[in-house]
Parts: sequence; structure tokens; C-alpha cells
Amino acid sequence: MDLHANIINNTREVFSSMLGMEVDPQEAIEAGMTHTNSISGIIGLAGSIKGMLAVHAPEKVALAITGGFLGMEVAEINEDVQDAIGELANMLAGGVKLTLTDNSSEIKLSVPSVIYGDTYNVSAPSKAVTFIIPFAIEAGLFYVEFHLVTTDS
Amino acid sequence: MPKKILIVDDSSTMRKIVTRSLRQAGWEDCEIIEAGDGQEALNLLATTTVDLILSDINMPNMDGMEFLRQKATLPAIKDIPVVMITTEAVADTVEKVKELGAKGSIKKPFTPDQIKETLGPLF
Repeated sequence: MDLHANIINNTREVFSSMLGMEVDPQEAIEAGMTHTNSISGIIGLAGSIKGMLAVHAPEKVALAITGGFLGMEVAEINEDVQDAIGELANMLAGGVKLTLTDNSSEIKLSVPSVIYGDTYNVSAPSKAVTFIIPFAIEAGLFYVEFHLVTTDS
Repeated sequence: MPKKILIVDDSSTMRKIVTRSLRQAGWEDCEIIEAGDGQEALNLLATTTVDLILSDINMPNMDGMEFLRQKATLPAIKDIPVVMITTEAVADTVEKVKELGAKGSIKKPFTPDQIKETLGPLF
């Protein structure tokens, strides 16, 4: 199971089929980054495998992603942007679930939570496998962060 | 006569994407009504008739599974076809919603062609 490749493939598929955009994945970085003037959509995973998937997007990038989803220009962070970033996280987490569970529903996904602000951090449990994959689109970089804690750990 | 379709999803973004995809798939003139969860959908269906329901599974308040269960007990609406549109399209979930009466499942993300392929036979 290659989670990096899975997340890259899922992200490409979501952007290509639902936004008509190509994404350019960058080299993965360690978690712990500080987000500035950004919005994050977070999905919790519970059940046989526990963890979290988050999408972090600086404001300009979040507006571009939301505009792509809705097929219209979006000028400011509003409920549409919060909903779009949450739904993006939801679709990416669904793809990870398909990979991790071998086509069964033993992992449950939470409904999306969305946070945004001037400066914030997202931290992981110490035993979690954690990584962040940056993706480039025309408007800039956004980040897909994944934390995985198996029940054995 | 234009079809009337109920889209049930807690994400307003997804409701708009599904609407756009339906129009791109060839149902330009279909009438769309929306609900944010299963309970809202049941409330709407108490006063409105539709030809087809497209529903998410993972929703707050009343999820798609419970919506299917309750809809099946209501004679006035139990025969309206439902197709699930979900990120949770793993095999056992697809099988479970089928047992609960869903006519099919579409995995998010999807394309207008996939919408057309799944919904075409139901029209």
C-alpha cells in the first residue's frame, strides 16, 4: 500500500474530473507546518484504522478551488469556500478509505470540519505516521496532510 | 415533460456540482430541488413528488442509510428510485444500500458521463 501514491492519484482524479484542473504534486514534507491566512478542511477516520486527512489552502488558492468546483468566480472566503474545502477533504478521505480497507466499510469517516484563520498549526499524535504532500495549481500551492494511527500502535 | 430530481447532500458545493453534471449529461431542463440531509428530504417528499432522488450517504442529522430505511416504510414515496452519490462507495456499502432499496451508487469524484451511464436506464 503506497499512501503517497494513493493520495496523489486521488487528488489528480478529483481535480481533473470535478474541477477541470491539473495538479502538480511536489515532494512530500514533514507535518508541523504553520498555515497563514489559510483555510483547512479536516476529516477524521475511526474504526480499525484511526487518523485524519486535511486539506490546507491559502486564501487565494481556496478561492480558485471553490471557483473551479462551482464554475464561477469567488472573491472572498465565505460559506461556499468552507463547504468546498470540506467536500474536497471528504472526497480525498474517501479515496484513502478505499485503499486502506480493501473495499469494506470498517473505517468510518467523520463529516468535514473546517477551520480558517491568520496563523494556526495542526498537530498529530506522537505515534502517527504523518506526511504532507504539496500540490501546485495555477493559483499557488495547497497541501494534503495525512495522519495514520493503527490500533496496534 | 421535464424530470424532477431531488438532490440530498449536506454539501451545497456538491449539490451544485451534481446539478451541473445532470445538465451536462443531457438533462438540461430537469427541475432540481435540494435537501441538506435525509430528514429534510423526507419533509420535502411529504408535499412534493419527484421522479428520482440522488442522495449522499454520510450526512449529519439523518444519513443516507436511515433515509432509505424510512423512505421504504412510506407507501407514497417508497417506489421513487434512489441513487446514492458518495465517497463511501466501498463494496459492502454499495451492497448495503442496494439491500435498502437504492437502484445504484455513483462514487465521488464522478464525471457527467458516469452520471449519464447510471441514471440513463432509470429515465
